[in-house]
Amino acid sequence: MLLEVKNLKVKGNGKEILKGVDLKINSGEVQAFLGPNASGKSTLVQVILGNPKYKVIKGKIFFAGKEITKLLPEKRVKLGLALAWQTPPAVKGVKLSQLLEKISQRKDLQFEEGKGLLERETNVDFSGGEKKISELLQILALKPKLVIFDEIDSGLDLKKLEKVSKIIKKELVAKGVSVLLITHSGAILQFLKPKITNVMVDGRVICKEKDFRKVLKTIKKYGYEKCKKCKLLAN
Amino acid sequence: MKNVKNVNYWQIDHKIKKIFEAKGVEVLTSKSAWEKHNWARKYFFKKPKEGYFIWIKKQTDLPLLTCISIATKNTEQELQNLLILEKNLNINLQGTCNAQKRNLSCGHKAQGKIILKESSTLKYEHIHSWGQKDIVEPNYEFLLEKNSKLDYTFKAFFTPKKLKINTQLFLFEGASCNLKILANCIQTETEIEDTLRLVQKGAKGQIKLRLVGRKNSRISAHSQIVAEAESKGHLDCQGLLIDKNSTISLIPELICQSKDAQITHEASIGKISEEELNYLRQRGLSEEEAINLIVTGFLELGE
Repeated sequence: MLLEVKNLKVKGNGKEILKGVDLKINSGEVQAFLGPNASGKSTLVQVILGNPKYKVIKGKIFFAGKEITKLLPEKRVKLGLALAWQTPPAVKGVKLSQLLEKISQRKDLQFEEGKGLLERETNVDFSGGEKKISELLQILALKPKLVIFDEIDSGLDLKKLEKVSKIIKKELVAKGVSVLLITHSGAILQFLKPKITNVMVDGRVICKEKDFRKVLKTIKKYGYEKCKKCKLLAN
Repeated sequence: MKNVKNVNYWQIDHKIKKIFEAKGVEVLTSKSAWEKHNWARKYFFKKPKEGYFIWIKKQTDLPLLTCISIATKNTEQELQNLLILEKNLNINLQGTCNAQKRNLSCGHKAQGKIILKESSTLKYEHIHSWGQKDIVEPNYEFLLEKNSKLDYTFKAFFTPKKLKINTQLFLFEGASCNLKILANCIQTETEIEDTLRLVQKGAKGQIKLRLVGRKNSRISAHSQIVAEAESKGHLDCQGLLIDKNSTISLIPELICQSKDAQITHEASIGKISEEELNYLRQRGLSEEEAINLIVTGFLELGE
């Protein structure tokens, strides 16, 4: 087991956002997390990475055999956790190449797609697609064991999505790195075919399903409301 | 000093380590210049004890370098520096003032005058690096004659206990300048006074301040543009406050004495965004490393 989240309850701004989440990811596994807006998906990944803005009120997080619930974010990253942000903030005055130099854990990073971004200020005036490439580049530099992609498919057309998926497959999945895809639309799943698809609604995982197509089909047809009523509710 | 080989004026404590004159450039101690050049006396505040005199008479393509250091405890420097750039020349100058150790409890006072003759251009990078107990007072005056251009950057990334910077610029017909003061103040009491005087028609100038307050720093900056004739000026002051115990006070002031002048200002003091800090920590940087990187970026933007 690489990542294990046990009965996680989390508060943010005084409000309970996660209401008892369980998750297990093995080495080399691809999983997905689907859910409507404000269901708690982004909160979950921020908590896994240690964002101090959120308060864990119950439950534990384990990574690579170690409890990390109270560990500083940078120490979690050193253990091999990485998150590609949905909307990364601008780091003004700092070129992407400077940032990469600071964070990189490898010397052999070759990435044609990101070359044009290296001399620009990190995430300043980047287009949606450029932000995804920049995030990918930083993630690869970290040499992670598990990468969480927060809405990597938002704002990308099908062609770009296919390209990004190919990079994820080649650079991560094929090398045994685990991947957790957080997605609202599910567009990326057809390319990366997750082993398990989790559905999160209102701070709870209400479904864990092996066939992502089935989940997507249900959501497309009936919306997340149908998931709520499903007899196979995990909880 | 990295470029010791090429340095034009190098002083440690009160001793001259090296003087090197490039072709067409006269370099003296200011004390010798007082004796040798009667005409130069009017530019000194009083009879100088120490400091440099650099008179650039011909174009030189290599950058000029000065280095004034302190290596001995309790040294008190009292410098008078004079730099004269003759007509139509285009020169790069890098000046370093520093303490060789962080615990010397020294003093560095400099009265400087920089004269840019007609249509000359000077790019001057002035780097200060001090120890935690030092007291430093650079006091510089720039005279920009007709159509001359100045790009002056003052950088203090290792600040002393007390830093008092006074910069006065006088711009005559068609002259232009870009003054930048970038300071990463750590446990420092900083007082900045700068005035840009747009004396004659067509003068154009900008002042840019980027000030970071960290670890019990007190920063006060009073920047002023005075437009005496048809001219343009802009003042851009930005502060970044890192900790609870530091303060930054920015006072931009515009004085317009000509109905044809156009002078503007902007000023802001901000803090580090939690989101940005968290983002960088999620890239494996410690909180301090992340703050340092954000500060570097903030100061970089001033350049």
